[in-house]
Amino acid sequence: MLFADAYRAPVSPEGLTRRTFLRSTALVGGGLLLGYAPSAEDATLAGAAGASPAPGEFPLTAWVRVTPDNLVTLVVSQAEIGQGISTTLPAILADELGADWETVRLETAPFAPAYRNPTKNWMFTGNSESIQAFSDLMRQMGAAVREMLVHAAAARWGVPAESCRAERSQVFHSSSGRRATFGEVAAEASRLPVPSSPRLKSPDELTLVGKALPRIDIPEKVDGSAKFGIDMRLPGMLIAAVRTAPTLAGRLRGVERAPALGQPGVRAVVPLDNGVAVVADTYWQARMALSRLEPDFDPGPDAGLSSRELSATYRRALEAGPWATPLNEGSLGPTPDPAARTVSAEYENPFLAHATMEPMNCTVSVTSDHCEVWAPTQGQELAFHTLKRVLGLRDDQVQVNRTPYIGGGFGRRLLPDFVVQAALISKAVGRPVKAIWAREEDMRRDKFRPATLVRLAAEVDGEGVPIALFARVVSPTILLPVFPALEPLMKEKGIDPSALEGAVESIYDIPRRRVDFHLLKIPVPTSVMRTTGYGPNIFAIESFVDELAQSAKADPYEYRRRLLSKNPRALAVLEKAVRLADWGKPLPAGRGRGVAVARAFGTFVAQVVEVAVDGADVRVLRVVSVVDCGRVLDPGIATANIECGVVFGLSYCKSEVTFERGGVVQGNFDGYELPYLAESPELVTEFVSGGGDLGGIGETSPVTVAPALANAISSATGRRLRSMPLARHGLRFGVVRPPRGKGYA
Amino acid sequence: MHELKVNGKVQEIDADPGTPLLWVIREQLGLTGTKFGCGIARCGACTVHVDGEPVRSCSFTVAAASGKEITTIEGLSPDRSHPLQQAWIAEQVPQCGYCQSGMLMTAAALLKARPAPTDEEIDFAMTNLCRCGTYARVRKAIKRASGTTAT
Repeated sequence: MLFADAYRAPVSPEGLTRRTFLRSTALVGGGLLLGYAPSAEDATLAGAAGASPAPGEFPLTAWVRVTPDNLVTLVVSQAEIGQGISTTLPAILADELGADWETVRLETAPFAPAYRNPTKNWMFTGNSESIQAFSDLMRQMGAAVREMLVHAAAARWGVPAESCRAERSQVFHSSSGRRATFGEVAAEASRLPVPSSPRLKSPDELTLVGKALPRIDIPEKVDGSAKFGIDMRLPGMLIAAVRTAPTLAGRLRGVERAPALGQPGVRAVVPLDNGVAVVADTYWQARMALSRLEPDFDPGPDAGLSSRELSATYRRALEAGPWATPLNEGSLGPTPDPAARTVSAEYENPFLAHATMEPMNCTVSVTSDHCEVWAPTQGQELAFHTLKRVLGLRDDQVQVNRTPYIGGGFGRRLLPDFVVQAALISKAVGRPVKAIWAREEDMRRDKFRPATLVRLAAEVDGEGVPIALFARVVSPTILLPVFPALEPLMKEKGIDPSALEGAVESIYDIPRRRVDFHLLKIPVPTSVMRTTGYGPNIFAIESFVDELAQSAKADPYEYRRRLLSKNPRALAVLEKAVRLADWGKPLPAGRGRGVAVARAFGTFVAQVVEVAVDGADVRVLRVVSVVDCGRVLDPGIATANIECGVVFGLSYCKSEVTFERGGVVQGNFDGYELPYLAESPELVTEFVSGGGDLGGIGETSPVTVAPALANAISSATGRRLRSMPLARHGLRFGVVRPPRGKGYA
Repeated sequence: MHELKVNGKVQEIDADPGTPLLWVIREQLGLTGTKFGCGIARCGACTVHVDGEPVRSCSFTVAAASGKEITTIEGLSPDRSHPLQQAWIAEQVPQCGYCQSGMLMTAAALLKARPAPTDEEIDFAMTNLCRCGTYARVRKAIKRASGTTAT
């Protein structure tokens, strides 16, 4: 099973033929969209794009193609950014279809309406919702194609379709012993209408779903053969290195091109709105020549922007508002009753960089009337629409392909900025171009996970149990850059739904709650990053619940249990996590356990972090995660997501992005440090099934890491960390020392 | 011209002497398994072996590599048969996979020097960054492979 020739040459006559061929077939595919009819615009788009059937290959739907010699191709709509989706979704499809999983071939979907997320009607990979949004569609598509193939075989044999079955990419008629491969009946099947309500298999008929499948992408990732965006190569392609203004809002006034132009391999110097690109035969030639340029930048507004100033802006907003009030259960006033016993605290979350291991890059071929893109992207549709607008092209003149492998996403790659920049460079030089960002560009031109400032206050009863909870959240937008259609709602209501995640919904039984929100305008570009609003809000809330427990002189676990008595799923993950973590078992001095529990992305997660604190050194020894996502479709892949997500969560406690003189201070992994292997704790991960709807997995486990860690440090030392990262408090993850023994200094 | 012996094959390379070995390997030799991550030798995505030692090729010039034996991920084994590659598959280590070539090359050098590394030795040697956080599985895979690696 391999991702097949996604790197095919785009401009060959064969390629054009393929697309023309597709025009007559993709509409069939578009018509297969069970449950929603494509609009006229969709049909045009489907005609322009679509996957690439080979001559003689039969597209049965937009998702399945079969050749006469029985090569079954399944299309993968969702970006493989490490989460394993390119195994799980095709496995669901293959399972219903009865395809031989060992021999199916997978293909990365280009942007086309057929591959839109059916619940959002938009093609993207994010929000931990690929399984939730696509699993039913994959089942329906697999079942529909199975019925077409079975009907075609049954008709050929003159037997009732009900007496035939499909498995291992063949159709069988058991009573007569006849069999036909999918390929042998594909031509006839492709002429049949697509059934709109095919019979879905019962759970005991499924052979793939529910099992821990070996991921299809892993063999290619251990021998260097997996092709990422940065590995893309087109005939006649040049390489671009870019440098943008040192200030966030800086603009290029001009640049003297001569110092670069005479350099080896250099083909062009391309001025950009906010920077300059050098285009050369190789990356290093481009980068060396770029370093010789002295672009003249207008620093733009906010050239004095600093973290100190930003902090003051947040503080002013928290003190003065104004506030939108997205939740007020119980007609609460804006602040606690002065007569009530009250506990309150403030929490800060830092700005964070996505820092995907593969820096932003994009390969583009732009001509006067066509643009074709190969991008390591999570946001194909946003890239498509943005390119159309920026380049002034029509739907059928833009094709956005996704590279089969992507070196991390975390939300960064939902944005089209790096795609558009590469397209403008290609357009300027009239050649295919691969633009590669240096790490410093990648970090300083990120759209950051916004800092937030949260004030929580609770009125508590005589036993210290909250009877009213007040939350004030100050945050810039998270969602707008990736979902521009949000703007009217944001303007009208003054809220960003993503920034409210984890604040408005509550797992706890607190009779009255009020949430006030201030949508902060700052000159820092902010956007979605793994955990979106859940991360920052749950850090505040789960830290605060611990503080409430302390103030009530109660055990943090027992205190939570009491507040969760009406929430059996949250209670179940919590109880199992504390059991696995030996909660209550005494620890030596300097050690502590902390717990956090949340519902995020439709999934319940509880974590217990165990730490050892020695002076400034914080060692995370063990993290237990218990997760209820309704049902686990692949326990191996789900476990890996939860485990690795814990380390990602620790990164939120290790570094932050700061600002000075209008720009970003950190530019590389020396200033923005990520956790090392030596800092990776023992991980215990288990799932429980509460029988609810499918929940998300990818972003779940990082949500509770920071509060559970802060709670553990509090337990170990008595110090309460109300902000991250650790360095703000003079703490760090313990350093690695050379091992004792021969050969080490 | 620089003469490099890459994965057993002698190659004549025309490049500025200061060009990092990484970009020669990727762009001139077309061996794209070795990755660019940071350019300052911090992340290790570009790790290759130079005369058997793990080297961060983003910060090692082609001139310095001249005349030396270089092994990239493509040369670790012809068929994913290296015990670490087998262990990586068995433990299902990679997520996005971008750092994994460098991770494997660092681990391969570690096992050559320390066929049965302790946890502390693994901690000390494996300073490659993995943004996805696959470290626990990397450790398990090294231990699995160390039981089978020939010295």
